Amino acid sequence: MSPEDSAAVSLTDKTVDGDWKRVHPASPFVRGWVALAAVGFFFGRDAFERMLQGRDFVDPNLSGRVPWLLAGGAVVLLLTVGGFILNWYFTRYQVAEGFVRVNTGFLFKQQRQARLDRVQAIDIVQPLLARIFGLAELKFEVADAGESAVRLAYLPIDQAKQLRATILARAAGVVSEPGSSQEIPEAPEHVVLSVPPGRLLGSLLLSEQTVGILIGAAAVVSTSVVLDNTAIFLALIPGILGIGASYWSAFNKGYNFTAAISPDGIRLRYGLLDTQAQTLPPGRIQAVMVRQPPIWRIFGWYRMHVNVAGYGAAGNSEGAARTMLLPVGMKSDVLRMMSLVLPDPGVEDPESVFVAGLEGLAPAQASHTSTRADGFTTTPRRAWLLAPLGWRRNGFLATGTALLIRSGRWWRTLVMVPHQRTQSMALHQGPLARRFGVADLVLHTTAGPVMPRVFQAGVAQAVELFDQQAARARAARKRQTSEQWLAQVAPQAPEVAAAAQPGQAIQAEQPRTLKQEESHDG
Amino acid sequence: MRTGAIDPPGVQWLRVSPKYVTVRLVEWAIGNLVVIAVLSLPLVFVLLGWWRWPPLWLAIAVPAVMLVLALWRLILIPRQVRAIGYAERDDDLLIRRGIFFQRTMVVPYGRMQYVDVSVGPVERSLGLCTLKLHTASAGTNAHLPGLPADEGARLREQLSARGEARLAGL
Repeated sequence: MSPEDSAAVSLTDKTVDGDWKRVHPASPFVRGWVALAAVGFFFGRDAFERMLQGRDFVDPNLSGRVPWLLAGGAVVLLLTVGGFILNWYFTRYQVAEGFVRVNTGFLFKQQRQARLDRVQAIDIVQPLLARIFGLAELKFEVADAGESAVRLAYLPIDQAKQLRATILARAAGVVSEPGSSQEIPEAPEHVVLSVPPGRLLGSLLLSEQTVGILIGAAAVVSTSVVLDNTAIFLALIPGILGIGASYWSAFNKGYNFTAAISPDGIRLRYGLLDTQAQTLPPGRIQAVMVRQPPIWRIFGWYRMHVNVAGYGAAGNSEGAARTMLLPVGMKSDVLRMMSLVLPDPGVEDPESVFVAGLEGLAPAQASHTSTRADGFTTTPRRAWLLAPLGWRRNGFLATGTALLIRSGRWWRTLVMVPHQRTQSMALHQGPLARRFGVADLVLHTTAGPVMPRVFQAGVAQAVELFDQQAARARAARKRQTSEQWLAQVAPQAPEVAAAAQPGQAIQAEQPRTLKQEESHDG
Repeated sequence: MRTGAIDPPGVQWLRVSPKYVTVRLVEWAIGNLVVIAVLSLPLVFVLLGWWRWPPLWLAIAVPAVMLVLALWRLILIPRQVRAIGYAERDDDLLIRRGIFFQRTMVVPYGRMQYVDVSVGPVERSLGLCTLKLHTASAGTNAHLPGLPADEGARLREQLSARGEARLAGL
């Protein structure tokens, strides 16, 4: 054993609560089955083909080289399996004293710790194979918009859920006496909505992608008719496979989508073969977008996206699925989700305000004021040339707790940013906008699919909003005193909240809240 | 200084050092002269008779257009530098820039994650520095170039102190 290991062992003795644990012993194989399968495939394919052809199991010409090949294969296999096992052996995690810590590596060691109250989201992911074995991967996200801060793959599903409950309870500010190892029960949850598979399928078939494909197909068919050339269809086969794969992936990701609310936050579950359960603690959603493509208007469907600091920009399909708050839903579903995301909308009649944001349109006959009956301040009539379709839609409304921004006549969009989540703001005005006396207001939030921007507001209104919004965000930040959401709502344990404050001020200087240390061994 | 229509009323803007024009001129020279030199190569080759294509008018027109654009940008530089302004308010920092495409940005002190001060070789010789503010959003592109070094240091300390006092979570 290396010195680092003995250090880790002595550290284990010191810690009060939460001992060091390993992930499930089967996880190296669940993680590494692709590599194992590749090795097996490489060596087994030849023999298999021979068997199919009714020849000898082993190529007679190779008989001299077989021992070497076998030995080589065995060495590769042993090294792979050994690497996995060593990696598993040296990966240990601990949840204690307000931190989650993970030690990994045996040659290049890495120690990672992340503050529990800095959690932005916790995901439990079950790929198909892990699901068969009853295992799950736990991802702990902090606000660094990149890879997960802590990934524990794989834990037994019950243990993963237990760990999630523990982390969320500690992050919320629930204190248990140090040393006591009582199980923290999982927070009860209440299912709010689910997406029927039929609607999901319909939404996929009526997506923008389908329209693009139909146009492309029509172009190909007409080309082949004109050129009298049928070979052109053969070239399409890879494209068709790719399209099929993308529809399948969207269906697989969105299948059985369920949203639930619990004291820990919003729970989202989805997946057909690979299942995923996301937990977004209260106040972790930075911005929400509701969107309706033109075809979906026939059925009254909407889709919702969120910005969460830990998820980052939705670059790949996994990221896109994680930032999806609702793949397809009716207006009532949207309103219900809105009430989860923003429990206190800060207006008297939230429903009519949200509906106005989703489908409202300012009257074409302009009065002099640009604030309409529905509360949204829209683009002044003088600037209609800049947005001939959208000027009656483009507008904003500031409630007591959030800023609502609506835009788009065809692609109807409603964006909501809670005041205390606004990072910074900028007013933009180009020469054309100046000529028409309008300006854009851009709100900066963490990386993600939602980019809040108020399009073409009148200059006076935009400047007023800019000033007021700065004041509102300031006031909202003052109300939010702690990252621990229980302490924030009801300071049951004032000494804990007080103890958390100074530490937080120091900690938050680093955007990553992660301390990584790498020490080289050997 | 002159303020645009989108600036909040009643703000006393501070300007960056006029010496920052020199920094911008050096950047302009490095960027544009190299491009124009490369684009002029075909003209030289055509004149020397090495190349038959492009025709002479095209070989002249391309670098000429680039030269006009570059000169246009050159003329704008002093005005652009004069248009950069900042103002420390009680709870946030305002930064404005631009003449044609104006931008006014507000960064609350409590939202700043860290503050960078960087100095390039030209800036160093003129005693200037660039201050950059970072929030949790990648969209916050708040940099303040051309500050005198002592003003940059003062601002950095001031911003960090105020940020710590007003810090809130994400």
